[in-house]
Amino acid sequence: MTVIRAALDEMFAVIGQMVGSVFRHGLPLTDKIAARTALTNFFLHIHPVRVRRSWIRMSYTLCLGGLSFFLFIVLTVTGLFLMFYYVPSTHTAYENMRDLQFVVTFGGVIRNMHRWAAHAMVITVWLHMARVFLTGAYKKPREFNWGVGTLLLLITLLLSFTGYLLPWDQLSIWAVTVGTNMAKYAPIAGPYTRYLLIGGRVVGDNALLRFYVLHVVGLPLAAFLLMVVHFWRVRKDGFSGGL
Amino acid sequence: MEDSREMSRRSFLAITGWVGFSVASAIALYQSLKFVYPNATYEDPPAFKADAPTTYAVGSTTVLIDKRVVINHDPNGFYAISLICTHLGCTPRYFDDVTSDLVNAGTSISRDPDTGLEATRANPALPGFKCPCHGSRYFRDAINFFGPAPRPMDRVHVEVAPDGKLLIDRSVIVDRAFRLKV
Repeated sequence: MTVIRAALDEMFAVIGQMVGSVFRHGLPLTDKIAARTALTNFFLHIHPVRVRRSWIRMSYTLCLGGLSFFLFIVLTVTGLFLMFYYVPSTHTAYENMRDLQFVVTFGGVIRNMHRWAAHAMVITVWLHMARVFLTGAYKKPREFNWGVGTLLLLITLLLSFTGYLLPWDQLSIWAVTVGTNMAKYAPIAGPYTRYLLIGGRVVGDNALLRFYVLHVVGLPLAAFLLMVVHFWRVRKDGFSGGL
Repeated sequence: MEDSREMSRRSFLAITGWVGFSVASAIALYQSLKFVYPNATYEDPPAFKADAPTTYAVGSTTVLIDKRVVINHDPNGFYAISLICTHLGCTPRYFDDVTSDLVNAGTSISRDPDTGLEATRANPALPGFKCPCHGSRYFRDAINFFGPAPRPMDRVHVEVAPDGKLLIDRSVIVDRAFRLKV
């Protein structure tokens, strides 16, 4: 019995050590413990150690930047689910999209969540920019973050544009034909830019694959990195007045 | 006393390092761009064969939608149109009447400079092409008369292949006066 008890004690000690390594400071019963927890935890350290009540007061624009970020998370998760059924080839893309709508259980829900969240994100990002502009929140010391924000707006629009091709229906193909022909009007670099974007002269297999790769990896990664900078700067520069 | 014109070992190595890094980065950027710029595309080749010239009656307009080419056979010969809208590249569609709705709405439509045809109240219907994307319209001979299209659709080269069929090369743009007499 003593052998078993010793083994159990040993096991509990190891588990206790592991748990203690994850939760280092116990329950945040005092301000001091809460502050120490926030400082040493990766996820909590993103938040300021102290938050003034006025900083998180929900204002009439309902935290448009936060809404945009929430939609980005929705899009990432639903997009990941869509990738299980979608093959970016001109032979399969349209059928895969139809299967998602009509064959896959809850496929229609996931696809429509992705679609509507995408439309909504374009709207919330635009409105967020409008709010920052109209309240003068881009002024010193936030000029740099305004710049990062414009890049995030651009990436949001590019994500929307690249995603638009993926259902591979008539609307997508001709919308991208039109969009990339606009790029062609740029002086000197125009025709090369279009060729590079669609990987050829017509919107075909290469264009679909390129847009897919940009849509699921390239642009989200760039958006993520810029968001990290954007949010960090928001925290360092302070909230200009509520959310 | 150190000569101020002499470079210290440290700054020499730093400058050499940065120059090396910059050159390597520039090469990497060039490589990356060249890599994603395709050398071969495996698209439909620009030249293709249509049917024998006798298939196309005089006065006919034949739309080869998969090839995005139109073959017009006029009394003075054949010519081919590249069916790509000159506005932003969609595919205009053929209609027997592309003018009467405009004429009836009171829009004045210019006379076709090549054929001399004119849509009037007395005779409002002319055949031609309408682009589904932004509504550009063209006469049957590819000359634009309405909407955002900035110029006529391109005419492309037609010849008779050794086997007697029409050979159309979409990569060769020809003059508006071009006609193939068979």
